[in-house]
Amino acid sequence: MSKVNKQSLWTSIKSKYSIYFVLIVLFLVCWLANENFVSVENIKNISTQISVGTILAFGQTILIISGMLDLSSASVLALAGVLSVSVYKMTGSLLLAFVAAILVGVICNILNGLMVTRFKTPPFIATLAMMTIARGAALMYTNGQNIYQIGAYIKFGQGRILGMPTPVIFMVTLLVLTWYLLRHTVFGRSIYAIGGNEEAANASGINVNRIKMQAFIINGIFVGIAGVLFMSRVNGGMPNGAVGYEFKALTAAVIGGTSFSGGIGTASGTLAGAFIVGFLDNIMVLVGVNSYLQQIVRGAIIALAVIYDIWAKTKRTKRKLGSAEAK
Amino acid sequence: MNVEVKLRVSNIEKSFPGVKALDKINFAVKKGTVHVLCGENGAGKSTLMKVINGIHKPDSGQILIDGQVVEISNPIQARSLGISMIFQELNYMPEMTIEESLFVGNWPKDKFGKVDWKEIRKRTLTLLEKEQLSYDPETKLKDLTVSDIQMLEILKAISYNSDIIIMDEPTSAITQKEVEVLFKKINELKARGTSIIYISHKMDEIFRIADEITVFRDGCVVDSRPKDAYDMETVITQMVGRKLESVFQKEDIKIGGTVLQVKGLTSDGKFDNVSFEVSEGEIVGFAGLMGAGRTEVMRVLFGLDPYQAGEITIKNKNVNIKNVKTSIDRKMVMLSEDRRRFGIIPVRSVRENVSLSSLRKFIYDGRLHPEVENQTVTDFCKKMNVKTPDYETSIEALSGGNQQKVVLAKWMVTNPDILILDEPTRGIDVGAKHEIYKLMTMLAKQGKALIMVSSELPELIMMCDKIYVMSKGKITGVLRREEFSQERIMAYATETISQEGVNQ
Amino acid sequence: MKKWLVIALIVSMMASLLTGCSQPAPAAAPAEPAAAPTAAAEQKEYRVAYIARAQADSFAAWLANAVKEEAAKYDNIKLDVFDGQANDDTENGLIENAITNKYDVIIVQPNNGEAQRPYVEKAVAAGIKVITTNARISGIPGSSSVDADPYMQAKVNCDLAVSQVPQNAKVVVLMGPPGNFHADARRESWKKEFFEKRPDVKIVGEEIANWNKDEAMNYMETWVQANDKIDAIIAMNDNMAAGALEVIKDNPKFKNTLAYGVDGTAEACLLIEKGLMTSTSLQSAYDLATSLLDTTNKLVTGAEKEINMDIDCPLITKDNVQKYIEMHKKAGAIQ
Repeated sequence: MSKVNKQSLWTSIKSKYSIYFVLIVLFLVCWLANENFVSVENIKNISTQISVGTILAFGQTILIISGMLDLSSASVLALAGVLSVSVYKMTGSLLLAFVAAILVGVICNILNGLMVTRFKTPPFIATLAMMTIARGAALMYTNGQNIYQIGAYIKFGQGRILGMPTPVIFMVTLLVLTWYLLRHTVFGRSIYAIGGNEEAANASGINVNRIKMQAFIINGIFVGIAGVLFMSRVNGGMPNGAVGYEFKALTAAVIGGTSFSGGIGTASGTLAGAFIVGFLDNIMVLVGVNSYLQQIVRGAIIALAVIYDIWAKTKRTKRKLGSAEAK
Repeated sequence: MNVEVKLRVSNIEKSFPGVKALDKINFAVKKGTVHVLCGENGAGKSTLMKVINGIHKPDSGQILIDGQVVEISNPIQARSLGISMIFQELNYMPEMTIEESLFVGNWPKDKFGKVDWKEIRKRTLTLLEKEQLSYDPETKLKDLTVSDIQMLEILKAISYNSDIIIMDEPTSAITQKEVEVLFKKINELKARGTSIIYISHKMDEIFRIADEITVFRDGCVVDSRPKDAYDMETVITQMVGRKLESVFQKEDIKIGGTVLQVKGLTSDGKFDNVSFEVSEGEIVGFAGLMGAGRTEVMRVLFGLDPYQAGEITIKNKNVNIKNVKTSIDRKMVMLSEDRRRFGIIPVRSVRENVSLSSLRKFIYDGRLHPEVENQTVTDFCKKMNVKTPDYETSIEALSGGNQQKVVLAKWMVTNPDILILDEPTRGIDVGAKHEIYKLMTMLAKQGKALIMVSSELPELIMMCDKIYVMSKGKITGVLRREEFSQERIMAYATETISQEGVNQ
Repeated sequence: MKKWLVIALIVSMMASLLTGCSQPAPAAAPAEPAAAPTAAAEQKEYRVAYIARAQADSFAAWLANAVKEEAAKYDNIKLDVFDGQANDDTENGLIENAITNKYDVIIVQPNNGEAQRPYVEKAVAAGIKVITTNARISGIPGSSSVDADPYMQAKVNCDLAVSQVPQNAKVVVLMGPPGNFHADARRESWKKEFFEKRPDVKIVGEEIANWNKDEAMNYMETWVQANDKIDAIIAMNDNMAAGALEVIKDNPKFKNTLAYGVDGTAEACLLIEKGLMTSTSLQSAYDLATSLLDTTNKLVTGAEKEINMDIDCPLITKDNVQKYIEMHKKAGAIQ
């Protein structure tokens, strides 16, 4: 009997933390593959490189858990970023520039939220529309040209605090914030309930529309911050910047175990997902894998990670299902 | 008796990690008979049926059809061996039309290999006509009631011409009239030589339809006898493993002041001018046929749907119910008839499902207090006697009765004054039903006001202090306890008599 | 009511953000006005369709803006700009529309030369004058072209690098999108004009950064981990060179790293001025625009039937960078 219990405890741990196992195994493989992989600076680099995408991914995680998603995040990032850069160039105030970016992110996401809650547009369509609108606005505002000479603005994304790159500090802060929101607030619990079964959530007294709107607003704040970090990292206001980052973000969330059918997902899982992609990209460049092959490997590993995760989870559900039935 | 055995199950064993679900199961179904399986939830009936239907693989043992050992590894294979199963929890695609759902996966094709829609329409109409159902083949499933969909499931299994049909509580969601149609159908099938495995908790039904009865408990077969060798008392005793009072006795509870008063409530096209009152410690029943508007009234009352006219007064205060939150704040809660749709968050844990409507009790001072939450969840689940491996198990892994208890626990945590229970005992076993009755009595004793909507008249008569009867969106009669009788209730429900003054 | 108030508020906020900020106007008047339209007698207005590769591509946008401004100087030319959205289908459709609408001249900046070739041939067959630019589609009789030669653009840098890059150097290479005419031709030039002449040089990293600064940054950050020494950054455009330099700008270990680009963007000029970047070659949108309109004018007035020309690709180094910074300042890209 005790053997059975031990075994099932192990299975349960293995399945609950399956994605972290993937991450650790990948880390060890990378370590063996190249001597430069494990060094403080390289790990800092990887963390910095994934930070903008991961911050977007935290927003996506919240939205996907509640059964929605945001295709507009990269475009809104660009709009928020270029407007923020030009606010800085006009006023010379870093604070105002930061606030402006968040404001733009929030406004665009309030529009997303209104489309979804008031006009009942599916989030896919609503945010697809916003994706095109925001990119167009960013290009129109800058006439398609990059804004250079942004001066002290680069402090946001290129500075270091106690040796840690600022984007990593932002990423970790927002990780904690997302974790806190999901675990310690009524909002977080409601998000899971809405994604799991919207009608039952409503019948349990949750104001579904308000929570959805809040989810978009939080996403907007994240997108705004990501915009500041991106522009500051590339040292310029780039209306064409971050193309495809919405998919990077979705990828991280999904690898991290966030379910597109809603109701399931964690902030730390998303971070793990982002690191899996980050490690992979890094090691392939270090080892010097052919650029075309890199894309194939990346796709294959993403598919494998998700297959393993789903497989491990199904085993757990079956076990629990069995034991509950038999009682 | 010298009838040949159609299906034999021999020494089937099945374990899930940590639990033995089936222990050396032997039983046999004879050709052209109805074999009833009964047992409490979790006794192993569903697991065995899933083994027969190819969803679970047994650890050891054999399944024999017509004396031949067969290996069944999936439901499609089971179907090709002539086994069909009608599940208790219906999974359906809401956007499908009736005709599509009847032939899904089994499309008739024309000579070009294209789906033959004309043929589908023709066969659908024939089937519907034969079963005396008046649906339009193009109606979408989402526009049908639970009972309609279950009837369609039964139709579907019949249309496969299966030799063995497994019915897992087929009558838990359908009306008496439809039950009669079903039983007629079962008898027809029997006459044709089809074997039926019938899982049910309803004693009166079991004894009407069964040829043989097998009782399950804790993964074992307790006994298996022809119907004539059984009586109700014995079956119940064998199921629960202890002597139960066969009929639940309602205790006398002092009825206090009026808690809820509804006057002239109207929702256009659903119900009209509905008025009633509920007092402290009182259990008020709502009877009526399917579609009489009982559920609709409760949904409006709970804030799920809007209303056009009427007054709702709770504890002498006029309230405007705008949404579910307002009614929860007024300490009024509702257990929905459609548990899967309005009751549970399937992918989340038992714990989260229980605490969902009272999050403010656990989340304060800017953080979650897990110890308070765990304590509360444990207390209420114990009170409701929820059977679950642990509270982190996802709720969809529990049996229907246990899910229902979890939903009830969720509402009890909010400490309500008024409980609306819409079909609270649908699809749960005798033991669990008694637990629910006991809980209701306990709540009434605490001075709570209860509204019980049910299609099972005996249970209404047993539990209620007052019964309102509805028909076609109107209250057609109200009966006090001393006036209760199944005949009178049915008379009001079918409007063969009507009562003056009820709707004023 | 409240809902509309919220929407109105949001729209007005967006509007104020968009208009309230100063426009960083990228393209002001180039140095000298083009030849004024001479034929005063002939007041006929010619309709010209300019089909841009993508307004979302920063060089393409710069070029489109420059062409617009240049066209404003000609009284006899009315210019309409269309956006190919970096999509062959869209761009081909725009060419067809322009044929149907009977434009006098169609200027095509192809997304992918071979994909647009049949449509350009169709336009020529319809008797419309076609100019292809950046990059030209060559070998269509009757069509004209104005371009900068990508091979030459890279070559002027190579010639400098051959003598500058130290013996047994380790270098990294940043490539543009595969299949892009300019990306491929520039890389080919580096191969023939530099790597074949300097077999001692070792490539320690080569990646596709898709013209993007952020992608180039990520690759450079990784290379810096794996290599103690990188002697030169060879980038197929300035954006990617700037991205790589962003990584090492404050790192004393890489103080002497050389960096080569192409395009002569404002950012690259500033980096050269600061001594961070070594050289680039100018692909001037102003020069292209001036030549394009001049060619257009010559074609419509019948002065010439077919013109194929390349604009210069001057090398920009620390010695002459001030001149180009002045140019960018006039255009408003640098303050």
